[in-house]
Amino acid sequence: MQYENPEIPEGINVTPEHHLKEFAVLVGGALALILAIVLLLGWLAESIAAHIPFSYEQEIAGDLGGDTPVDATQVAIERALQTLADGLVAHMQLPSEMRIHVHYVDDADTVNAFATLGGNVIVFRGLLEQMPSENALAMVMAHEITHVQHRDPIVSLGRGVVVGLALAAIAGVSGGDLTDSVFGSAGTLTALSFNRAQESAADASAVATLAAYYGHVNGAAAVFDLFARLEAEQPLQPPAFMASHPDSGDRSTSIAAQAHAHGWPLTGELTPVPEALRLQ
Amino acid sequence: MIDLIVFVTLLALGYGFGRMAETGHYRSIHRREKAFRNILLIAARFPPPDLVPRKTQLVAGSAVISVDYFKRFVAGLRNIFGGRVRSYESLLDRARREAILRMKSQARALGADMVFNIKLETASISKGRRNAIGAVEVLAYGTACVPQKHEA
Repeated sequence: MQYENPEIPEGINVTPEHHLKEFAVLVGGALALILAIVLLLGWLAESIAAHIPFSYEQEIAGDLGGDTPVDATQVAIERALQTLADGLVAHMQLPSEMRIHVHYVDDADTVNAFATLGGNVIVFRGLLEQMPSENALAMVMAHEITHVQHRDPIVSLGRGVVVGLALAAIAGVSGGDLTDSVFGSAGTLTALSFNRAQESAADASAVATLAAYYGHVNGAAAVFDLFARLEAEQPLQPPAFMASHPDSGDRSTSIAAQAHAHGWPLTGELTPVPEALRLQ
Repeated sequence: MIDLIVFVTLLALGYGFGRMAETGHYRSIHRREKAFRNILLIAARFPPPDLVPRKTQLVAGSAVISVDYFKRFVAGLRNIFGGRVRSYESLLDRARREAILRMKSQARALGADMVFNIKLETASISKGRRNAIGAVEVLAYGTACVPQKHEA
């Protein structure tokens, strides 16, 4: 019998291709896929979430931000903020069932105000301490109220929930908790707060409200100058109001452009901050 | 964030150690395959009739090789995109060759010069359970033919 053991060449069962190359291609592909899914689902969720009735949003919000102020000063501050908000709302064509509730948080370190579910607007002490005029405060308030009007909090929540679910599903099919961690954090990064388009829209509407309320838009740009200054002072910890917001300089410029287009005066008498809100 | 750091560390460790183990293993496989080349492996069930009568005996070799974190992650991504799971191919290739080499070394100890009726069996240790150690066992067995000493 003639038989020999030939030497089998390498590279038939195992490709010599580098594992890291395959890894790079797969991870790149996975990230591109996730990005596409996040963008698509996020967009779908946004379009649907805006149609959720406001009453339902209020139910979801429940007692959000509803902790009552402890002392009389805080009650007075909250009342003054609510009065200002009500004054602004009168010029904003909000649907009748959309009620704005302003809450005050006695935290001097947080220079921020934000809008959340159910028409709740939260204002921090740190912000009030920095406000040069009532006009500037009104600009911030109108900006946050516009978020409520445009249904941004529920849209943001809808996007977060849907994207989170999608990512959990992807991590599930790929069969490992290993993938969970990466995909999970990619998900939270994309689902945070409002996007730039929402912020720009809120700015535009806030300026229009200011023009209607005061007859001029002086003081609006001061808000962005203030935040730009705070940002420069603490480059590592930009104020939360700045996160994902358009560049402060651009915002000032667009205010001027908008005012010019509508014929709103850029100058005018600034209203001082109401007595109750003058915190130093 | 902590999760991500832990994950990347595990991935790097898996890649580093996995790569080291694989390169070393292949070096050893190549060396021993050369050394055992004179033992013929034949898949046929029976020896040809003209073969002079010999003593036969069962020989077997088994190898269990574990997957590393990196390979498992890459294979997990393959679950989404499909295609050759290259990271597991090298794993199985190593296990298969190692099992055959162990069988051959048993055959050599018996003084055999050929092994007939080679069979390979593969088993997954983890059986697809989550969080279980992903390891694969390959068992190679066959009939070793030991030439009988001719009495002069």
